[in-house]
Amino acid sequence: MKEPLYEKDLTTMKYDILVSQRHDRMVREIAADLGVPQLKVRRYIMDHFDMILMENLPARYEQGKRVQEEAPEPERYLGAYLYTHAVPLIGEDCMDEIISGVKEMIRGGTSMDQAVLSGKSRLREAIAP
Amino acid sequence: MKRTVDVSIPVGPVHPCWKEPTRVKCETRGEFVLSAEVELGYMKKGIERIMQGRPWQEVMFLAERVCGICSVIHNMVFIEALEKMSSIEVPERAALLRVIVNELDRMQSHILANFSYCYTIEHETLGMYLLDSREKVLDELERITGARITCAYMVPGGVRFDLRSEDALHLRASMDMLEKEITRYTGMFEHGPLIALRSRGIGILTRDAAREACAVGPTARASGLPESDRRLHHPTYRKLGFTPISREEGDNFARIMMRFQEMLQSISLIRKCLDILPVGPIRGGGIPGAGEIAYSGEAPRGELSYFIRTDAAGRVIDIAIQTPSIMNIEACCHYMLTGVASMADVPSTFVSSDPCIACTER
Repeated sequence: MKEPLYEKDLTTMKYDILVSQRHDRMVREIAADLGVPQLKVRRYIMDHFDMILMENLPARYEQGKRVQEEAPEPERYLGAYLYTHAVPLIGEDCMDEIISGVKEMIRGGTSMDQAVLSGKSRLREAIAP
Repeated sequence: MKRTVDVSIPVGPVHPCWKEPTRVKCETRGEFVLSAEVELGYMKKGIERIMQGRPWQEVMFLAERVCGICSVIHNMVFIEALEKMSSIEVPERAALLRVIVNELDRMQSHILANFSYCYTIEHETLGMYLLDSREKVLDELERITGARITCAYMVPGGVRFDLRSEDALHLRASMDMLEKEITRYTGMFEHGPLIALRSRGIGILTRDAAREACAVGPTARASGLPESDRRLHHPTYRKLGFTPISREEGDNFARIMMRFQEMLQSISLIRKCLDILPVGPIRGGGIPGAGEIAYSGEAPRGELSYFIRTDAAGRVIDIAIQTPSIMNIEACCHYMLTGVASMADVPSTFVSSDPCIACTER
């Protein structure tokens, strides 16, 4: 059987997009926010996003951060809009589950910071198990 | 018995309706498009890398070469970024001449985009009429700047050539003729029943989706986002009393009509500039120095941003270019194409967002 003409491995090209100046800054910020190694964030993006979404990520990320600032707590601290819509690292259902878990903890008497930390660790598990 | 199967249909990289090579992979159920993804990399130029380490005098020519359709705005944004960074003033006459040339460039780009759409939906007659009008606009660009595409008209502190009085008269006459033509073609497009069948209610981009995908330019404004127009923040446009146009439908029809309306708006802006064009110098002088800046301008396709860092000798140390097509192609493939009822509407919907692959693969 012949080799496909256009079905190529896009890993190198995707990596080249991700190491450009603005993409690199975005990956570093996301990795620091979630406490995930940069390598894993890059890997996740390369595996799940197509090339045009990857090219558009810095613009979406900046816009997502602006929207995020106006979100209520604890959604703002967990990056509910940022990580589901702007840079879709996680599904909406999964994020809703994490948010309701965090809200439940807050209602149960856990401090906001502790509950958010626990939510972030669940985010980490979802993105980089 | 008739069966419906799920298939992945690649469109491109070489397709009769694409102006440049790109590959759109559509996941379909029968004719219904479930999702689409884009593969790039067929014409990557690496122009940002080429720019690094070069003096601004070289980079200003390279910037124009990012895109062969809207080259003027790349020149304008790069030069204005340097001017802002180094506090270089531009004489009023030069600022208005920049607007004239920029609006001519916008017109020719919009005409080409609408030609491509008409060609894609098999309305070649209107397409050819439009190309004829584009030649008139390019002739005016050549008359003022000396070149049709890569004009390099703007330099730090002003523009390269003045507008002679006989050229101004010619420009006014051309604007009158183009206004008549564009109005006629807008009517043809607006009232054509077959055009409506291929365009109305197809490839809808809602306002929320446009905002989420960061859509810009006529694509965003056709979905009810007039505030996305960067000309609102430009001092010369503000002096001209510029107000953006927008539509609410968000479909293919709205995007094309948006461009027709903006062409008429450009004609009116050019006339305003000619009316108030003062006598005076066209170059104020000034040399770009060291600095760092993020600067945006309104290209024909939307917001174009340059992120530049230079050293004391005016060499470009770092540069990143965010072109509008990146956002618009993403909006098109992940929002407009999702849910398109027929594969036959994929090329027309894609073309309606005026995708520029040269810009995307800068």
